[in-house]
Formats: sequence, C-alpha cells, structure tokens
Amino acid sequence: MPIDEKLLEILACPKCKGDIRLSEDQAGLICDRCKLLYPIKDDIPIMLIEEAVKLGESV
Amino acid sequence: MALLITGVAGFVGSHLAERLLKEGFDLIGVDSFLDYYPKGIKENNLKRVRENPRFEFIEGNLLNLNLKEILEQVDAVFHQAAIPGVRASWGKDFSQYVENNIQATQVLLEACKDIRLKKFIYASSSSIYGDSDELPIKETSPTNPVSPYGVSKLAGEHLTALYFKGYGIPTVSLRYFTVYGSRQRPDMGFHKFISAVLLGREIEIYGTGEQTRDFTFIEDAVEANLQAFFGGKEGEAYNVGGGSRIKLIEAIRIIEEISGKSANLKYKDPQRGDAKHTYADVSKAKRDFGYSPKVNIYEGLARHCKWLKDNLDIYR
Repeated sequence: MPIDEKLLEILACPKCKGDIRLSEDQAGLICDRCKLLYPIKDDIPIMLIEEAVKLGESV
Repeated sequence: MALLITGVAGFVGSHLAERLLKEGFDLIGVDSFLDYYPKGIKENNLKRVRENPRFEFIEGNLLNLNLKEILEQVDAVFHQAAIPGVRASWGKDFSQYVENNIQATQVLLEACKDIRLKKFIYASSSSIYGDSDELPIKETSPTNPVSPYGVSKLAGEHLTALYFKGYGIPTVSLRYFTVYGSRQRPDMGFHKFISAVLLGREIEIYGTGEQTRDFTFIEDAVEANLQAFFGGKEGEAYNVGGGSRIKLIEAIRIIEEISGKSANLKYKDPQRGDAKHTYADVSKAKRDFGYSPKVNIYEGLARHCKWLKDNLDIYR
C-alpha cells in the first residue's frame, strides 16, 4: 500500500518544519532545504531526524 | 471524525487504536519507538491496526514533528505517549522522563492552542499518588509520588489542567491503575509473572508480596477513554481502576491455578519507587461518564495467560 497522499500533505521536515517531497523512487521523503531523506519503511514515514539520511548536493 | 493517538504502538495505545477504529473513527497514530523495550514488540502491537485503511501511522517524535498541521486534521487527541517505568526513572535517565513525559506533553498542548479540539485525553497514572494514607484513593487524595516517573506524570497532568485554564483546551486526565492484559509491556508485573510460570523460571518478588494493587483490565481502560471522550468534564482528572484490589501474592496464586503450574518465588528487597498499596475510588468516573469496570481479576488473568501462552515467541 503506497503512502497516503493526505498524510504527505500534512507532514513536514522535523528539523526545519519546511516542505518535504516524495523521492522519485518513493523510498523516502526529501527535505531540499536540510538535504535530508526521511526513509519510508513498510509504508511508514520515519520522521525522525536521527534516522534521516544525508543527501549529496546533487540530489 | 478523525482522532490522534500518541504512543499508538504501546500497550494501551495499540488497544485504544483497535477500539476506536472499530467504532468507526479515522485515526492518525504517532510513535517514536522509544527503546524502553524492543521495537519488534511494538511493531507487533500495531499489526492489526496497520491493516486498516482508516489508520495512518507516522513514526516521529512529538518534540519535533509539525504538530499543528497534524492536529488540524483531527477532532481529539489521546495522549498516551510516555516513557514508562517507576524503577528506571531514578538516576541519570530522569532526563528522558523530563523530555518525553513533561516536555513532549507541553509541546503537544502548545500546538493545540489554536485548534478547536473536542477533547484532549491525557494518560495519567496512579503513581502520582504515591503511598496514600487514604484507601480507596479519591481524585482529591494528596498527590505525593514516590518515584521520579510519578513526578513526571504528575507534572504532565498539571500541564494539561493549566492549558485548560489558560487556553480552554478541553483536557481530561485518566489516572490508570496498573493496567494488564494482552500485549502488556514486558517489564510489567503480570507479564513477568505469567511468562516465568509458563517457562518454569524464577519469579522475583520485591518485598513480601503482601503489597496490594488495583488491577485494571485493558478493555476497561480503553472503555474509560471512549467514555471520557464523550462525557469527561474538561479540566478534570479521573481514577481508572479495575475494582480488583488484591495482594501480589494472591495474583500469583491465581496464575498458578489458571496455568496449572507452580510458581518458583524468590523474594528480594522492596524497590525504591514502588507504592505499598493502590486502590482506586472510581465513583467520580462512574458519575460523570458511566465508567464501571467489567472484567474481574480472575477473568482478566485467564485471558492474559491464554494470550501470552499463544504469543510467548514475540517476547523471546
């Protein structure tokens, strides 16, 4: 079951509270400002800063 | 109508979620999977509710989630999230209790200020009373916690009352008295006693075993939440007891009887932070929203034993 769109709309980056977007492969939620990817595991968005993956400048 | 449950993967939170979904509510659940006990156990708690399309789950910490946007989607909050454990709350780990039980509650209440909620139910605890001289304990009895955990839960309860007075958030506190039943936390008494009896292991009894507890079956605690949501008076606190006050040693005898196995008891020194006796006067909850515990200790323990027997593998 893919992540619910309504849920995506209400979520924000826990670090900067800014907008997030679904990554192209739908494996996580990206905050472009913080350059962090919050993984989606088993359809659960993991909105924990300590579990976020740092993204390279190019992403 | 949509509702928010914090601490949804916990023992009470997950049962409450199942019940509220059954009642037809939409749910958003939040949990940060604090490592007080293994994540796999909490994931298992959520197994059933996650199959329901009316349930949305966010793994996140209340201290940094964008709570306002989440709260704008819901009509009521059931704030179950907390770090538990009276004994573990002594010493340097107390900072975790401050963070998760006090600060997180304040942050959540702060975010509720501009939201028109129908109710904010706070999961409080009998541990706020400590060793009460009056039994049964009324809501007006003195609150003198005997553990740092109790202090943190009492602080959270004060905050909810304060945000009701200051901002009109319709808070209701439910003071749970030792809740038990399927999926009880693995560090809690009945879970440990039943597992030990089933596996033929030693049971550690702190003190003489003569201490008494008012045990509340999980279904009754969940029912109290639902009733308080509809009928709890704003700014008030209510005892939620099970009406089954018995000695710890008697509870172990019942477990022996139900399981057909003998308990191997090992007596240890009383633990700092444990209250000697708890016994709830639930007449206020009965009067205001019709709370009346249905499951007595014999039936409750039989159901708890059966469930744990069938699910012991989760905890190995």
